[in-house]
Amino acid sequence: MGSQRAQYTHLRDRWTQQHATLHGRLWEKHKEALEWMQKKSQHAAVGSLGAFMLFAMPGKQEFTMPKMLTANVSADIGKDIDKKAFVISDLSKIVPETVEPLSDSEEKQIANVFARYYGVNATAELEGKRLNRSYGYIGAEQHLKRFEGDTMEGHFDNPDDATKYYSSGMAPGRGAWGYFGTDEQAIQREKYYIAVQSFLSPGWQGNSKELYGFFKYRKMLVVNPQNGKAMVVVIGDAGPAAWTGKHLGGSPEVMKYLERVDGRQKGPVLYFFLDDPDDKIPLGPLPLADANV
Amino acid sequence: MKKKHFYSHIVETSSISLSLGDMDLLQQERKDLLTLVEINMHKTIMDLVLSHLSAEDKKAFLLHVANDHHERIWNLLKEKTENIEEKIQKAANDLQKNLHKDIADAKKKQ
Repeated sequence: MGSQRAQYTHLRDRWTQQHATLHGRLWEKHKEALEWMQKKSQHAAVGSLGAFMLFAMPGKQEFTMPKMLTANVSADIGKDIDKKAFVISDLSKIVPETVEPLSDSEEKQIANVFARYYGVNATAELEGKRLNRSYGYIGAEQHLKRFEGDTMEGHFDNPDDATKYYSSGMAPGRGAWGYFGTDEQAIQREKYYIAVQSFLSPGWQGNSKELYGFFKYRKMLVVNPQNGKAMVVVIGDAGPAAWTGKHLGGSPEVMKYLERVDGRQKGPVLYFFLDDPDDKIPLGPLPLADANV
Repeated sequence: MKKKHFYSHIVETSSISLSLGDMDLLQQERKDLLTLVEINMHKTIMDLVLSHLSAEDKKAFLLHVANDHHERIWNLLKEKTENIEEKIQKAANDLQKNLHKDIADAKKKQ
């Protein structure tokens, strides 16, 4: 089953990226005529599938046709795929080809993409503090004990999660910040946690106590730039060791949603601090913000 | 029945559908992938045709596409371009070759 899923995601990601390239090229070469058609369409009765499929532009607000005219054709094409193509396309122009630390300029551009597509304020540096990097390879972590005596048998709050995530197992010790607790917030935090290399962050040697407190359950946005999937998580553990070649770790739930795997096929993610002072953004998958796409 | 696109009678994508049919995909997954194939084919052909037209002819062409006036599209293309049918078929075939290669690569994924 796992390999079939990998086949689907491989094709979907590849063809979505191809679409972004084709779309960008089309608009770059024929911008004047296409923009003319856009304007014309706002006043005339045009609603063919062929026209509808043309009018979506990466990085700009999607062209909208009169609802009556497009109702019968909009269902025919993958609107969600288009929206994901936009964010993938925009990120691909900024993120370096090799998995390396981002420059300040790249981080700012990516923060703008996040604000535009996900409607959140995410930054690589918050309150003057930052991690060792904001773009890196993510590895798979195990479940963490939420409280003393927590076991795999009683860890899940529903049978569906137990089926999906039992096989990942549970780490023998506690996370770097101790037990999460027993309330609903603790359940969410353990479910959607990442491990970061806090011990490699700038200033850790001289100010580890303050940074330890800052990183504890710090809310972050993690994005797979190759499929546009985004998730709001907390920092729940420290790791992985530098020698592993990985730069952060994700809980089983995080890895599955982002469609990232460990080992030879490991892939990179972007991970930025989420500026959410009133704690309004829930943990878990973050959909694209319709109004901004 | 009217064809879906003005080029539907000369571009055949059933081999892609069949190749995807060989894979153990969910119905929605297959639909997603076929949607991407259709969109990518459409944008490839639109780019090709527009690249053979003047600025003014591009507008006339787009207007016909928007109104699904296939006969007018072909009248325009026959008047303003040379061998455009062959060029569309070649572009479509090239894209399909790449799509088949992608599918073959995907089937090797573990």
